[in-house]
Amino acid sequence: MKHLLYVFLLLGAGSSTVRAQSCTFRLSGHVHSSADHSNLPGATVLLDGRPLTLVTDANGDFRFDSLCAGTYTLLLSHTSYDTVQRTIVLDKPLHLDIDLKPGEGLLREVRILAQRPGIPTPPQLSGRALEAAQGRSLGEALSRINGVTLLQTGNSVTKPVVHGLHSSRLLVINNGVRQEGQQWGNEHAPEIDPFIAGKLSLVQGVEELRYGSDAIGGAVLVEPRPLRAATGTAAEATLGYSSNDRQYLASAVVEGRPQQLSDFSWRLQGTGRRGANLTTPHYRLNNTALAELNGSATAALQREHFRTELYYSRFHTRIGLFTAAHTGNFNDFNNAIAAERPDPTFTGQDSYTIGRPRQEVTHDLLKSRTGFDAGNHKFTVLLAAQYNRRAEYDIVRSAATKGAQLDLRLLTLSQEITWEHPRSARLSGSVGLAAQQQENRYSGRYLIPNYTGRTFGAWAFEKWQKDAWELQAGLRFDHKTIDTRRIEAGSRVLTNYGFDFSTLAAAGHAGYRILPGWRVQAAASMATRAPQVNELLANGVHQGTATFEVGDIHLKPERSLRFSLNQHYDSRSKKLSVDITAYHNRIDNFIYAEPRPEDPVYTIRGIYRKVAYTATDARLQGVDAAVEVRPLDPLALTTRYALLRARDLRANDWIIGMPSDRLSQEVAWTLKEGARFSDTRLALELQHVWEQTRVPGEAAGPRDYKAPPPGYTLLHADLSTTVRAGRYPITIGLTGRNLLNTVYRDYLNAFRYFTDEMGRNLSLRIKISLQPKSSHKTVQP
Amino acid sequence: MKQRFLKFGLLAFGAAALTLASCKKDNDDGETNDEEVITTLELTFTPQGGGTALTFDYDDPDGPGGSNPTTDAISLAPNTTYNVSARILNKLANPDEDLTGEVEEESEAHRFYYVPAGNVTVTNLDTDGAGLPLGLASTWTTGAAGAATVQVTLRHYPGNPPNKAANDPVNSPKSATDIEASFPVTIQ
Repeated sequence: MKHLLYVFLLLGAGSSTVRAQSCTFRLSGHVHSSADHSNLPGATVLLDGRPLTLVTDANGDFRFDSLCAGTYTLLLSHTSYDTVQRTIVLDKPLHLDIDLKPGEGLLREVRILAQRPGIPTPPQLSGRALEAAQGRSLGEALSRINGVTLLQTGNSVTKPVVHGLHSSRLLVINNGVRQEGQQWGNEHAPEIDPFIAGKLSLVQGVEELRYGSDAIGGAVLVEPRPLRAATGTAAEATLGYSSNDRQYLASAVVEGRPQQLSDFSWRLQGTGRRGANLTTPHYRLNNTALAELNGSATAALQREHFRTELYYSRFHTRIGLFTAAHTGNFNDFNNAIAAERPDPTFTGQDSYTIGRPRQEVTHDLLKSRTGFDAGNHKFTVLLAAQYNRRAEYDIVRSAATKGAQLDLRLLTLSQEITWEHPRSARLSGSVGLAAQQQENRYSGRYLIPNYTGRTFGAWAFEKWQKDAWELQAGLRFDHKTIDTRRIEAGSRVLTNYGFDFSTLAAAGHAGYRILPGWRVQAAASMATRAPQVNELLANGVHQGTATFEVGDIHLKPERSLRFSLNQHYDSRSKKLSVDITAYHNRIDNFIYAEPRPEDPVYTIRGIYRKVAYTATDARLQGVDAAVEVRPLDPLALTTRYALLRARDLRANDWIIGMPSDRLSQEVAWTLKEGARFSDTRLALELQHVWEQTRVPGEAAGPRDYKAPPPGYTLLHADLSTTVRAGRYPITIGLTGRNLLNTVYRDYLNAFRYFTDEMGRNLSLRIKISLQPKSSHKTVQP
Repeated sequence: MKQRFLKFGLLAFGAAALTLASCKKDNDDGETNDEEVITTLELTFTPQGGGTALTFDYDDPDGPGGSNPTTDAISLAPNTTYNVSARILNKLANPDEDLTGEVEEESEAHRFYYVPAGNVTVTNLDTDGAGLPLGLASTWTTGAAGAATVQVTLRHYPGNPPNKAANDPVNSPKSATDIEASFPVTIQ
């Protein structure tokens, strides 16, 4: 093991050289875990005599090109598996299938040194970057990925936006299960604890077919770390504190694999947080406190050719919404947004109390996943049940009113069978059948009716690769039926509606490696999204925003046709990485809420503005670019740029509510490993967001209530280090967001009409890892 | 062995799904009354010095959406002083629910405004516990015959504390609208 470590150290010092050679042989391989025959990404592949390591990709594949004939030693290692060494005689192109056995030791040190991040594809967030972003919400963690922005309601309700698309157009996949909450609402954030994630990634194209035909904006995957592979029990605790809202956070994981029952593994995880009212640079916002309590439990059994996993998670949050942003009628709304800053009645309280208005959301997920191999065929059965309860507490006239004014309950059951046919060096593929049943019920104020929904779907995709080429293609079909039922107070039955939608999705992808480290990819995909119940049948007051929403039962499914081009380059010396994606997304029947200023709704509270769901054709085009330069070994400069242009083709105008262009520059300095401090890194990030000037023209009447706010520039910083105190490593992180306490408002925050964004926030996090003794003996170099 | 685990897993899952499914039977079918809805503002006019009480209302019996609210034309005698009391109702409840008590109980977080135009004056609003105007009761005095309007607004202070003050305007940022009704008044 020592050997391996030294090699990595050498690599870390940047001692690589490039040899000119005319050799042409290729060595490719596929690595899987012998425990469950799953593909094993992240295994380090070291080929003797070549100063270059590879890490297996998401499918467990690796490839060396342009090798000379000869005898090589191949070394395969993974943090959780025993290292495998093989001697290879190369006299023709060769493909290897390699099984790794779960190891007894965790090689933590090795993993850290071997990590040379660069810019990952697909876009993702893991490791230290994820840890630094985990403190607030899933949405905020996701927004660190280039191309992902945030749609906010205040600073506590955050939804990811990918290439301008969000809510029901962007699937969120929680540990393999499609998250089914009330995600249609702009103020309904994904109900997932960010601490569950070991990795957050964004997939588009062929991979998204697994999850639905309606992923017009793609799918966000929230994946936990793999369960413990070595025997023994380990624990990890994270404690955090944020200065802005005096938020306390505690998160802990305990996991193990019993010595005497080594094919069984388990994990318990929990997170709690409590924050007081948030503060902007000039004033504190009353009733913006939050409290969250989440937990999950996993149990898994792994035999050769068989594995099963049972997973349960609960997410529970209570979020206060700024009182002054909850207005009565349209006049009140106009008065409130005309003010430069909120009335002092609604600012200045430094309190953990959560009053009205607020949201209380609970999401339960129970999942069982069982996989078995028959020969080289792999089968997986996934069963899941989710129960989402969203209660919205409005400002009420009387303190005697205790209940929620809107209470939505959604039960979703889903079943899925996947068959992965035997993979060869070139071809792999899967076929799946999926079914889902949903029941939505509510009490309180009417907004959407009760409904039951049923979906049946089938999908298939194949991936082929040969030499420098990679081709993928897939198809998915879903049939969805929705039956709605509305019974008014006093048991008056109103018209019930039934809907039938057939939706088709297809995706193709071609990748070509021009040089080692330089890849170009082209993708085309079609996705179809059936209208949601709220788009069809909403009819009611959207409290707090002085709007009255009206659905349209004649809406048709929207269909998107997306093309994208990506080029990814990593120089051999790892001194330069460039990733550029350009996309073009044409969406027919794009459904949106259109303001109807000419047709206001008169109520006893005064006038409400009407918005009606309607369809247009849209075209979204953009570029995401990221460049990482490492001029000196400890120094990394990362530039990220995201651009989006969104047109309404029928009105020949811009589309409202799209993220503006943004640019960020990060400078990171990594210190040399010391005896006591390791993995020490200081990063400064300057983030600029331009003013959104591409908004609909107002010649035909007002479309927005206030002009988009000006652009802004923020400075963020992150410092982290790992201290070895006795046997246990302690990671300490200090993050500062909006360090200069800049006053700004963001175009995509619904509260921008009322208040400035959050001011400076310093957060401290301390992570302690407790590893069993047995697994620790291998790490001392 | 494999089979047994599979069966066990499925069984456990089925049982759990059933447990979940059985939780949802509470609080069933359809909407309950929105306890926040006000459908009706009723003003009762009693002439000082005796006479028949008159009642006029602003009414939206189907709640927000649906049909627009209707407003009675208030018909008063010239040069007369009336004691006026306001009542608010939710007619979507069965029987009708009188919400006036809620406003009385939280008088320090509510306030009626009466803004007349024409030959009517509104004075003498009753007060809340802190001595600030409430307006459930008021005195209306008419002048010579003619047409007038009175805008009646009920405002609600959501803050904690409400910070209600005597000089708060009708569109104060501290309060939000519960009722906004404009009554035509005929003095004849």
